Amino acid sequence: MTTELPHQHTSNGPTSGRKIDRKRVPTDIIYHRTSRLLELVYPDQSSVQLSSEFLRVHSPSAEVRGHTPDQAKLQYGKKNVNIIQIVLQGSYAIRISYDDEHDTGVYTWHYLWELAENKTTYWQEYLQTLLTAGKSR
Amino acid sequence: MSYWRKLLGISNKKPLTDDHLGQVEKVISLAYIDPYLGTDLISANAIKRIYQVNNQLHIATVLNYPGLIVRPIIIDALSQALKTLNLFDEVLIDVQWDIPTHLGQRQEASRIKNIIAVSSGKGGVGKSTTTVNLALALSEAGASVGILDADVYGPSQPHLLGIPAGTTPQSRDMRTYAPVTAYDIKVMSMGLMVTEKTPLMWRGPVASETIQQLINQTLWGDMDYLLIDMPPGTGDIHITLAQTLAIAGTVVVTTPQDIALLDVKKGIDMFNAVDVPLLGIIENMATHTCSQCNHIEHVFGEFGGESIARKFQSEILGSLPLNIKIREQADAGLPIILAKPSSDIAQTYRDIALKLAVNVAEPGLITPLPKITFVND
Repeated sequence: MTTELPHQHTSNGPTSGRKIDRKRVPTDIIYHRTSRLLELVYPDQSSVQLSSEFLRVHSPSAEVRGHTPDQAKLQYGKKNVNIIQIVLQGSYAIRISYDDEHDTGVYTWHYLWELAENKTTYWQEYLQTLLTAGKSR
Repeated sequence: MSYWRKLLGISNKKPLTDDHLGQVEKVISLAYIDPYLGTDLISANAIKRIYQVNNQLHIATVLNYPGLIVRPIIIDALSQALKTLNLFDEVLIDVQWDIPTHLGQRQEASRIKNIIAVSSGKGGVGKSTTTVNLALALSEAGASVGILDADVYGPSQPHLLGIPAGTTPQSRDMRTYAPVTAYDIKVMSMGLMVTEKTPLMWRGPVASETIQQLINQTLWGDMDYLLIDMPPGTGDIHITLAQTLAIAGTVVVTTPQDIALLDVKKGIDMFNAVDVPLLGIIENMATHTCSQCNHIEHVFGEFGGESIARKFQSEILGSLPLNIKIREQADAGLPIILAKPSSDIAQTYRDIALKLAVNVAEPGLITPLPKITFVND
C-alpha cells in the first residue's frame, strides 16, 4: 500500500505559519450507500454532497495523478463505483477505499474543500476530457 | 461535616453574597498571576467554586496543567491576600488539576491524553536530552508521562534514563509488551529490543512497520502525556507517525544557528502539511558561559529562535545554555533535572515543560476530527 503526504501542488499547499483552518475540517462525514453520495458537514452546518464517482476520478493518489502531470492517467468507467471504507489518516485527511480495489487516495481536508468548492467546474472539465479521449463514464 | 450529615445530603455550604463574591474575586484576580497561564486564575477559568461553610471561605481551583509545583505558591498567595479582607475566619484553598484530552485520539492510543512530538530538522541539537528532561519535569509536577523513542536507528532514551543494558520489555504473550519504567517514566525504545552494539540496517518500510509495532503493541496504560523523541529530518518514520497517531502538537528544538534553522523550517512545514499544530520552540545551546572567566558567548549566534518563532507565529518556550553539566549528567544516565534539581537549568526545563502543558491544553489548538458514518439510503 502506498500512502503519501498531501500533494503540494494543490491550491492549498503548506504555507509558512498557517494555522489549521478549522472551518475546512468537516464535523461529520456521512456516506449514503444507495445513492452513492458522500456528504460533508462543515462547522457552520453547511453541507455538500460529492458522488463517489466524482471522488474516485479525482483521487489524489499517485496511481491516478502520477508523479508528474504527464503521468496522470485518465479515469473512466467509474459510474457505478461504490465506497466501501473510509479511515482517518492522522488528523489531516481521510483515506477512501473503493470497490474497484482503489484504496490509496488520501484526501486532505483542504483537498475535500477544494473539490466541494469547484464541484461543477471540475465535473464539467472531467466530462470534457472524457469526450475528447473518446471514453465513457 | 459529620458522616450522617454527609450521608443525608445536609450541607452547610452556602454561596457568598454578591457583594462578598465580588470582593473575593477581585482579590483573587489581583493576588496571583499564573506564570504559565499568563493570566490570573479568574480569567483563566481555573476557579471552579467559591462557597462558605459557617464562616470559612472555600475556594476550589482546577488547573489544566500538572500543578504540584505551583500549588503551594497559589495557596500561599491567595490565602495571604484573602486574609486582608477580614471577612472570613479562615480561608481554605484547594488546588487540583485536570489535564484535558486531545479530542482526536484514536482507539489504539485512547488512554493517552496528549501525544506531543519533540522534533527538530537537524540532528545533534539536543532533542533526546530535552525530551527526557521535559518528561521528568512534567512527571515531577504530578503528571503521568511516557516517552516513545522513535529514533529506531539511534535510540538514546534507555541510556539517558540510566536503564541498565540488557533490560528488555516484559511480555506475557509475545504480542504486547509492557514499557520499561525508569524514574516513573514509561519508556519504549528500539534500544530496549536490541543491544546497543547492533546496527539496524533497515530500509524505510521496515522502519515504518517497526515504529507502528512500538506504538500499537506497547501496553501504555493511562497517561497524561506521551512525548515522542523524533528522529531528525522528515522521513518515513515522521510520515508513519503523523498518519497513525493523532498528535496533539509538536515542539521544535533548535540551536540558534542559521544552518539548523533552515532545517527547522522544513520540519515545521512538514508538520503543517499534516495539520499538527506547533506548540512552541525551544532554543538549545543558546549561550555558553566560559568556565574560566565567566564570559557569556553566543556560540551559535543570537536571535535565531526568535526569528523562527516570529515567522511561524509561535513562541519560544525557553532558552537553554550549552552547559557541560547537561551533557555529563545525561551521559551518566541521571538527567540534570534529577541530578541538580535546584539549578537554574533544571528550573528552565520545568518552566518550558509547564508552558508546553498549558499550550497543549489550549482548546484553540485541538483539531476536531469528523465522525464518519455509513447510511443505507
